[in-house]
Amino acid sequence: MRLSRRGLLRAGLAGTAATTLGGLATGCAVPTGSTGRNMVLWYWDGGLGDTVVKKAKARYGDSVDLQAIKIGGYYRSKLMTTMTGRSHIPDIAGLKGEDMASYLPNADQFVDLRTLGAERYRSRYLAWKWDQGIADDGSMVGFPIDCGPVAHYYQYGVFRKAGLPYDPDDVSAELNTWEKFFTAGERLKKRIPGTYLLSDVNMVFENVVQQGDRRYVDKDRHFIGDEQHVRDAWALAVEAKRRGIVSDLVAGTPDQLSAVQDGKLPSQLNASWATNDIKSGVPRTKGRWRVAQMPVRPSNNGGSFLAVTKACREPERAFQIITWLLDAANQAQGFVDAGLFPSTPASYTLGALREPDPFFGGQITMDVFGPAAQRVEVAYNSPFDVALGQPLKDEIKNVGVLGKDPRKAWNDAMRKCRRIATHLGVSH
Amino acid sequence: MATTLRKPPVADPATAGGSRPRTGARRYWHLYAAISPFYLLFLCFGLIPVGFSLYVSLHRWDGLGSMEWAGLSQYQYLLGDSDFWTAVGNTIVIWALATFPMIFLAMVTAVMLNSAVRLKNLYRFAYFLPNVTSVVAIAIIFGSVFSTNFGLVNALLQAVGLDQVAWLNTPWGIKIAVATLMTWQWTGYNAIIFLAGLQTIPGELYEAARMDGAGPVQTFFRITLPMMRPVLLFVLVVSTVTGLQSFSEPQVLLQTTSNDSTFAGGPGHAGQTMVLYFFQQTFDNNDFGYGAAVAWGVFLVVVLFSIINWRLVQRRGED
Repeated sequence: MRLSRRGLLRAGLAGTAATTLGGLATGCAVPTGSTGRNMVLWYWDGGLGDTVVKKAKARYGDSVDLQAIKIGGYYRSKLMTTMTGRSHIPDIAGLKGEDMASYLPNADQFVDLRTLGAERYRSRYLAWKWDQGIADDGSMVGFPIDCGPVAHYYQYGVFRKAGLPYDPDDVSAELNTWEKFFTAGERLKKRIPGTYLLSDVNMVFENVVQQGDRRYVDKDRHFIGDEQHVRDAWALAVEAKRRGIVSDLVAGTPDQLSAVQDGKLPSQLNASWATNDIKSGVPRTKGRWRVAQMPVRPSNNGGSFLAVTKACREPERAFQIITWLLDAANQAQGFVDAGLFPSTPASYTLGALREPDPFFGGQITMDVFGPAAQRVEVAYNSPFDVALGQPLKDEIKNVGVLGKDPRKAWNDAMRKCRRIATHLGVSH
Repeated sequence: MATTLRKPPVADPATAGGSRPRTGARRYWHLYAAISPFYLLFLCFGLIPVGFSLYVSLHRWDGLGSMEWAGLSQYQYLLGDSDFWTAVGNTIVIWALATFPMIFLAMVTAVMLNSAVRLKNLYRFAYFLPNVTSVVAIAIIFGSVFSTNFGLVNALLQAVGLDQVAWLNTPWGIKIAVATLMTWQWTGYNAIIFLAGLQTIPGELYEAARMDGAGPVQTFFRITLPMMRPVLLFVLVVSTVTGLQSFSEPQVLLQTTSNDSTFAGGPGHAGQTMVLYFFQQTFDNNDFGYGAAVAWGVFLVVVLFSIINWRLVQRRGED
């Protein structure tokens, strides 16, 4: 076959026209949500238990095709882009806990779960977790998946060698204030030189802030990051640095991991999900760890929600699926599958969650995490918290890592916060 | 640039005698149609988003709710935002720390590759390899290389009797680590480009130089370098464009496993480049309006550098 230039041009033109027209035609017909029998569920890897999702597909297969899609990469920006683009919006969307503040002001994009009878399920879930899914106007956006109670992970042998309490109950009881925790850090360093209780000052600052019922911006859109609760957290972090119990290692580097493995960094204040990080990051420390309550009171770190979007054509069915996916038995399965810590206290007594864990020397870690989860207090989750917390976190890091003068660092943080607050329309 | 615009699309003399003069668009429509995939795609994925970002930058928007008109206030805030200017400074310092050693090393490598007798292609392949390796993988390796207690760099320093440096914990250490990563990634690529340039220099020039008694050093500075100037400028321009948009290198190298922002760029924001700052404002703070304004700030800085580059090229043209 001979291809003439004219023929080629025509073919190119026809192709382009077809593509353009096709694009335009489908462009006009792009559906807002799912089509046919599909019920599209967006979540991320490890966001729901795989076994539970598989069972849900079979269970509801008669009425809908449950399309559970794991979205990789930066989940929130993909969900927001899709919702703003108003096409192919999932029926059910996973919402990450740390992103809730940005979804809640836009509660009108989701179905208010109260209208679907959510209130009936309330008593089965952790009260504070339930409240985190509710927007300022009272509508319920997110249905609780998991939570992340923070506890004190420590290496038994190292604590014992340093003459510190080493039995989990004793550690919980005796290191129950920051003062006692810091004193223990000093003793640890004295008895075993080169060993630090804390990897960085942010561990103190952020945990103390998270323990409180107030953070950086309150419900009235007012900046409260300059008030006593933040000053106290700041002062404790500075004190930890002054007393020399903080290492100069960067979290996640090989240096830090090897320090953890060698017992030079035998302690972490971390959420329940850190169990998996420790197991995969320093597998050779198997059997050396124990878990105890953190000083003062437990805090929460992470944990996500499921929501029904406005594009969903069958909200009742979607809600039915959600409540089944997240009932106490399936949340227990989620813990087994993906380490998702249940938000249903009834799960804590189930056998699957009460297995002695050889990584923790046979300890039943649920004895610590379970009660911790039920004692958590949470703060109001403002959409401006991230922007206005960042200068404080940056500056306390400068104190910890670069040795910046704490007073100057505080003033710099406040100056930046005030500027950002004005810019975002937050009063101060 | 002006020369390309000077010729208006007038009718071809061959067809001008016809009954109706055909304008350019009519005469060449099928040509335009043939290249239309490019400009349609560019319109969709280039021009419209660019225009939309300008529109967003004049608003306050959380990315999901309704937009609120903000006028030029985002730009006003940008001008006084010390964090943005820190990011501009970081970007330029990292770019300079990466580019000049990289060009020097690439030139040396190219000269050596040019005189290599055996395994030429193997060497070329080996030097090109870093450039096609995933930045994320490289950054993870460099994180280990620059780690304080077990890093290769500190092991070398200690071997020659120097003190350890906490590379990823000090402002200059961070910049040097990021710049080293970029140097390593781009040296081979640019060496290949230099090599192509070297091979266009006629051998007679070298012969003449040798007959005049010039040594290898003199030959390099008197012949190779002047002849290579256009290639050098090309490499400089490309490095500027990529260097000013550096993002993955500091992001992966400086991210921590804690709850910290992955766009903060390490202690004191020392490794926070302009694009990282843009990401932090947009995706951490959900401040899409301000993020768009930052993006336009980045654009203006790149334009400024492009003008400087262009002036350099122009001066060459006038010689």
